[in-house]
Amino acid sequence: MVTTAELVAFAPELSVAGTAFLVLLLDTFSREKRGGVSLAVAFAGVAVAFVATVFHMSIGTDTTAFAGTLAVDPFALFFGLAVLITTALVLLSSTEYMGRVYPERSESLTEYVALILFAATGMLLMASARSLVTAFIALELAALPSYALVAFAKDDRAGVEGGMKYFMLGAVSSAFLLYGISLVYGATGTFDFAGIAASVSAGDATGLAGLGALFVLVGLGFKIAAFPFHVWAPDAYTGAPTPVSAFLSSASKIAGFVLLFRVFTVALPTSLNWLLAVQVLAVLTMTYGNFAAAVQSSVKRMLAYSSIGHAGYVLIALAVFSSGGDDAALALGAGMSHLFVYAFMNTGAFLVVALIDDYWGVGYEFEDYAGIARKVPLIGVAMAVFMFSLAGLPTGGGFLSKLAVFAGAVRSGFWWLALIGVVNSALSLYYYSRVLRWMWIEEPGDGAPALDGRPVGIYTAILVAAVVTFGLLFAFEPVLSTAEEAASALLS
Amino acid sequence: MLPSSYYVFLSAFVFSVGLYGVLTRTNAVVILMCVELMLNAGNLNLIAFATHHGGVAGIAGQTFTLFVLAVAAAEVAVGLGIFILVYRRYGTVDVRKPRLMRW
Repeated sequence: MVTTAELVAFAPELSVAGTAFLVLLLDTFSREKRGGVSLAVAFAGVAVAFVATVFHMSIGTDTTAFAGTLAVDPFALFFGLAVLITTALVLLSSTEYMGRVYPERSESLTEYVALILFAATGMLLMASARSLVTAFIALELAALPSYALVAFAKDDRAGVEGGMKYFMLGAVSSAFLLYGISLVYGATGTFDFAGIAASVSAGDATGLAGLGALFVLVGLGFKIAAFPFHVWAPDAYTGAPTPVSAFLSSASKIAGFVLLFRVFTVALPTSLNWLLAVQVLAVLTMTYGNFAAAVQSSVKRMLAYSSIGHAGYVLIALAVFSSGGDDAALALGAGMSHLFVYAFMNTGAFLVVALIDDYWGVGYEFEDYAGIARKVPLIGVAMAVFMFSLAGLPTGGGFLSKLAVFAGAVRSGFWWLALIGVVNSALSLYYYSRVLRWMWIEEPGDGAPALDGRPVGIYTAILVAAVVTFGLLFAFEPVLSTAEEAASALLS
Repeated sequence: MLPSSYYVFLSAFVFSVGLYGVLTRTNAVVILMCVELMLNAGNLNLIAFATHHGGVAGIAGQTFTLFVLAVAAAEVAVGLGIFILVYRRYGTVDVRKPRLMRW
């Protein structure tokens, strides 16, 4: 039986999902196709979900629902907040973007909005899943609309190519995940996270469960674009409409991480020997992401690889996990807070690219950015905040959250992981500052196109992201402590 | 009745066949069929283990299989839609042809 309390607990998810249906309904019954109305309604729905999430956080909701398959706990709410913020920023910038860049698709703007909302629902549910069944279905609910979103610009060859690659590898990863789930189920006879942990600890068929854990790791590795399962990410992010790239590289990655964290800290004990695999994954992912980003000539593609590098940093938080204990909770909390900051700075950076590359039609290459910041200093400053914060310099919360992640690794005795992270961070400064050199220092070329129009929605989204990224430098403490409390509540 | 371990070996074989096909085939539709093989290998496992566990635990596995079937069908619908777009743009569903983006 579904109780009212359960429905109240799931107000954020219900609000987002309900808005998705509402948007489609409104569009069906309206004579003209008005994407703007859909976006406004969607934005309102996400705002309601945001308020509901903040409300649950403030009263400290910690409950399970629907026969224990979903949880509303501080951990889920923390990640839900990050997903909702990203969704709101992306929606805010989408009307003007789609209207200018893909005018031929303006009829279908409502579908675009609905797909984003459905994907966001899936991501919120991923954060809440506490059974492998709900985890799998929530993941698919997030993934299927994402494939369609990448290929949304039907006439754009790059978009279609990116969509195809994303779909193919996404489908294969689902198959890996399912196979892993089936093995874990075979070993333990349950899908429930706590039940699996109890059964494995009791020593039931640990070999089978260990193999299953490996398959699950591969399946989720695709989702968070960890090396070597990242191959779809650069192409999907480059080919997709840029707000969609922002959505996928921030919200989708965050949702992948929350599931990864919950499955591996709650369900699958470290006795299954997955720790070493995660450590290898973390080192390879951050190193590969950074080196590949350094050689890119397109800014958008550079950001795509940089987001792979950041997945590596966050993986450290799981790689230093030792069953239970305060250190594990602190490290996990640090990783969570990095994802929270990352939601702002990465989304913001992609939206700047959306504005410059596509909306103003300047071009994809670093060279095309020459002198942009002198024409639009506001955007130049915002990009500087994002880039330095992503690199880990104190222009934004990225500095503190990275510090927290590395400190967590050192505290848990994995100083070598922290060292590799620091070296990678230093390297990343090279390619992040390269964007700023072109934007601020180089002279604009003669044939540089005029920057036509000042889109209010995109500007607002970028400035909000920039102000929050910068503000988190001073207000990082509450975020970190919230994350740490959520992590220790999860592990206890 | 066959012991359930037979089914697990069969499913491992089916999964391997699917993975091999995904890695070697170039036609997108054939790759999709291979992915379906991989998904069905998971299903086969679930059913075999459900029989092995029996009782309430068994019912959970069988129910999940139904969910997976529905999800797989939805996945095919989205995938074929994307393949149609690829065909319109490139005139083929050979996965080697769309190569705008490298590195």
